[in-house]
Amino acid sequence: MTHDELERALAELPFRLLRGLGRAIAGPPALRMGKRRLIHTIVAGAEANSARIEATFRTHQAEQGALAAGPAPAGGASSEHKSGNPADLRALLEGIGVPEPRPFVPDDWQVEAVEALERGDVIVSVPTGSGKTYVAVEATRRAMYEDRTVVYTSPLKALSNTKYTEFCKLFGPEFVGIITGDRRDNPTAPILIMTTEILRNLLYDAAGGEIDVRLDTLGLVIIDESQFLADPERGVVWEETIIFCPSQARLLLLSASIGNPHELAAWLTCIRPTPCHLVRHQHRSVPLRAAYLHPNGKLTPLFRTVTMPPSPSQAVLHPEAKRLFTLFEEDTVYARRSG
Amino acid sequence: MPPSIHPVHLVTVLRQKSLTPAIVFLTSRRSCDEALQAFEHATDPLPPARQENITAVLDELTAAYPSLQDHPLRRMVTACGVAAHHAGHLPSWKIAIEELMRRGCLDAVFATTTLAAGVDFPARTVVLTQSGVRRDQDFTDLTIAEVAQISGRAGRRGKDSVGFAIVTPSPYMDLGVLIRGLTGRPEPVDSQFIIAYPMVLNLLKAHPLDHIQSILAKSFAQYQMNAQAAHLEHRIEKLHAKLESYKPRECSDWLTQWNAYDHATRQTAMKLQARRHHPPEVRARLPFLTPGRVVAFPRFSGIVLRRYRSRGQRHETVTVLRKGGVVAESPVADIMGVIDHTFAFAPAPAFPWATTEALSWLTQQLEDLPKHLPFLTVPPAPDDGEGELVKSLGDLFPCPSCPCRPTCAKEFKAANTVKQEWLHHTRTVQSLRTGLWHKFQARADILQDLGYLDPAFKLTADGEWARLIRIDFSLLITELIRAQAFKDIAPSTLAGLMACIAYENDRPNSFPRISGVLASLVATARRMAEALAAYDDPPLLRADVGGLAERWVGDATLTWAQLCRATSMAEGDIYRLLSRTLEYLSQVHSLQSTHPDLATLAAEALSRIRRGVLEELP
Repeated sequence: MTHDELERALAELPFRLLRGLGRAIAGPPALRMGKRRLIHTIVAGAEANSARIEATFRTHQAEQGALAAGPAPAGGASSEHKSGNPADLRALLEGIGVPEPRPFVPDDWQVEAVEALERGDVIVSVPTGSGKTYVAVEATRRAMYEDRTVVYTSPLKALSNTKYTEFCKLFGPEFVGIITGDRRDNPTAPILIMTTEILRNLLYDAAGGEIDVRLDTLGLVIIDESQFLADPERGVVWEETIIFCPSQARLLLLSASIGNPHELAAWLTCIRPTPCHLVRHQHRSVPLRAAYLHPNGKLTPLFRTVTMPPSPSQAVLHPEAKRLFTLFEEDTVYARRSG
Repeated sequence: MPPSIHPVHLVTVLRQKSLTPAIVFLTSRRSCDEALQAFEHATDPLPPARQENITAVLDELTAAYPSLQDHPLRRMVTACGVAAHHAGHLPSWKIAIEELMRRGCLDAVFATTTLAAGVDFPARTVVLTQSGVRRDQDFTDLTIAEVAQISGRAGRRGKDSVGFAIVTPSPYMDLGVLIRGLTGRPEPVDSQFIIAYPMVLNLLKAHPLDHIQSILAKSFAQYQMNAQAAHLEHRIEKLHAKLESYKPRECSDWLTQWNAYDHATRQTAMKLQARRHHPPEVRARLPFLTPGRVVAFPRFSGIVLRRYRSRGQRHETVTVLRKGGVVAESPVADIMGVIDHTFAFAPAPAFPWATTEALSWLTQQLEDLPKHLPFLTVPPAPDDGEGELVKSLGDLFPCPSCPCRPTCAKEFKAANTVKQEWLHHTRTVQSLRTGLWHKFQARADILQDLGYLDPAFKLTADGEWARLIRIDFSLLITELIRAQAFKDIAPSTLAGLMACIAYENDRPNSFPRISGVLASLVATARRMAEALAAYDDPPLLRADVGGLAERWVGDATLTWAQLCRATSMAEGDIYRLLSRTLEYLSQVHSLQSTHPDLATLAAEALSRIRRGVLEELP
């Protein structure tokens, strides 16, 4: 092949291949070269690298061939590429729907928590929606048998109201009272729903010498959403409530999954007369799956596995989700720049 | 391609894949409302059977919450089966939406991420559209606990065999944050213990001052700080052992002495710097290098014409006349010796630094000088800088004569680093162990100064009632009561002021005008808050929000709809403002025994606030 022929042939190669070739011949400076200079460099070094140049031409031909022959046999493959892997999506959406109705059987941890409450304080740290309420209700029922007052606190008035309605249905409205900053219904009932601030204030008054029958017969204090302890403004109220909680009452702390339940349990054991039992698990009662929905309406699994990866380091994105998200980012970046 | 998926499209896709009901978490109330608006004409209405279902549930709830009757969004929800759920709505509306979701009547609810904790209803699917959340003025990433809270809503027990968390991108979304949130371990819960004035008063009411420290020690804050302190103490022990390894010495506190020396050296370093650059023997010669002095260089000798130091140069230079009339510059350090011979000549202000006649005369003299002339013996200058320094330190630095001075000098730097770290940790441990108690004492001292506590830290008469005010800004409110600011005012004015103190959001809105009395009362409160600023963070004290509470309390015929029309504030916010005002007023109401007039006033305001929408709900 003469220099001129080689030059013409090279000019038809895609830039990507030219650059690879240039880099092999001239090293990293080739990465900064334009097409014309690359061709010159390659032609100049052609004699010493003829094998490599030929290999590049072969690669190019193979690619061309694949492209030309592509649509016919690989039609399914390319549409599959477009829509991701339908098998993966089917696996993701499999089993969707209403489960077989099963008689309610409490989980082991729920039973464990209720039993442990007989012996001392209990912290329950389980994922949202896995049935903390069952523990609260069961513990309340047991305290009721023993003629003890139960106080149930939650951080938000709205949650208190929901719980009030729920407990009224379970135990009958005459046994349930609610006290919040602006509502007082049946405040001498054996089961009292209140915001944590109200309980703190009751404990303040009791410590200040005002006699409160409710606190004397107090058998159980349920503190819902106790991860609010870390709230920058209101967290202190949770702490005070726990510190001042009468020693004859049992504490039941219900919280979502938190990072350091052991520390909380160790603290409670430290300051309370009875040791604190920790009930925790990461298992969701309804399994969770993650999906990615592209703005064009295309749904793909988010992770390579159907189940959730156990830790961020093991979270591998589904290739299709990754591709689409990259595409989205490129589009929005471009839109932002031009806009 | 649109920047993020259109809400109607989103719900259509979810319906197709039977992923409904879903909760779609958006960043702001506005985006929730806009998403809902998008359904107005975009979709076919629900099948009549489902619409009837929704209507039935709503009608059932209307019995308990009359405000649902004419709710403007009612038609929309019934027709499309989608709803918005955010803090801008009335609690009754939110309860209705939650109930509809629980019964599975709705396909999608658009909710704000900020209120993820308040969204207490499950769905089959949650849709995450953002990785950040607005907090105060900032936009911060969702924490793992928050993402867990959100994804925890996916999958209803007994109704779903699988729950779904769907991520759909929007501009500025960080997928990494969501992946971490979905798969990571939640953050630890850390104590946020703060010592507020009501706490101090209530603790001192129940316990004598000497018991307080043991009560504070029971806090989780102290527990965590103790753990931290124990960790540091372990490190301190290690550092101590390291320090021990430097012993034995002549003196026990060599580090202190050397530290004093090091400190003094640093202090005088600047002054010494100029002189330091020449070795002592060169420095000793400097006074002799006057114009006319004969000096010897290694190869030749010459006569000094002038001595100078250029700006920015460290070394002195001399201009020297050499044999043959050459005038040249040389650094003083090159001079080999000073010769005991000088010539008096007439200097000139510029090159060649001597008059022409003097120059030729000097050249002549130089030629005539004998070859070998005796050098002046100049004793090297004492290292006066350091000497003085050591002298000035006196007893602080007795080391000069100490036999182990060289060892000390060598090891001082490393040992000092260890010692400083040790000191730092020791101080940290101390503040960790006693910090809470000191903070409590500081607060108690302030309360003593203000007259709520007597010299023995028992509650005074003022303290006895002030401890019943257990809300934010309690100090401001009790001080206002003591200053009789609430004398002879109407219940509406009191409610207005409480609203101003209670409302802490700086979202701009338009409000009804406030009365002159309230304006002057707010001004008084503001002055008081400024005076108390050193003791307590002042409240925002927006005067404009007071207008709402004032009107609601002042005009008993005002309906909720009329009140909402008077302001651009969202319904839910007005409700929250009034219900917080209610809380504050009921605190004031608790002062019946000591301030009967004020309590009556508060009671009247309370009874007037509790009507209409505020009565139907807790």
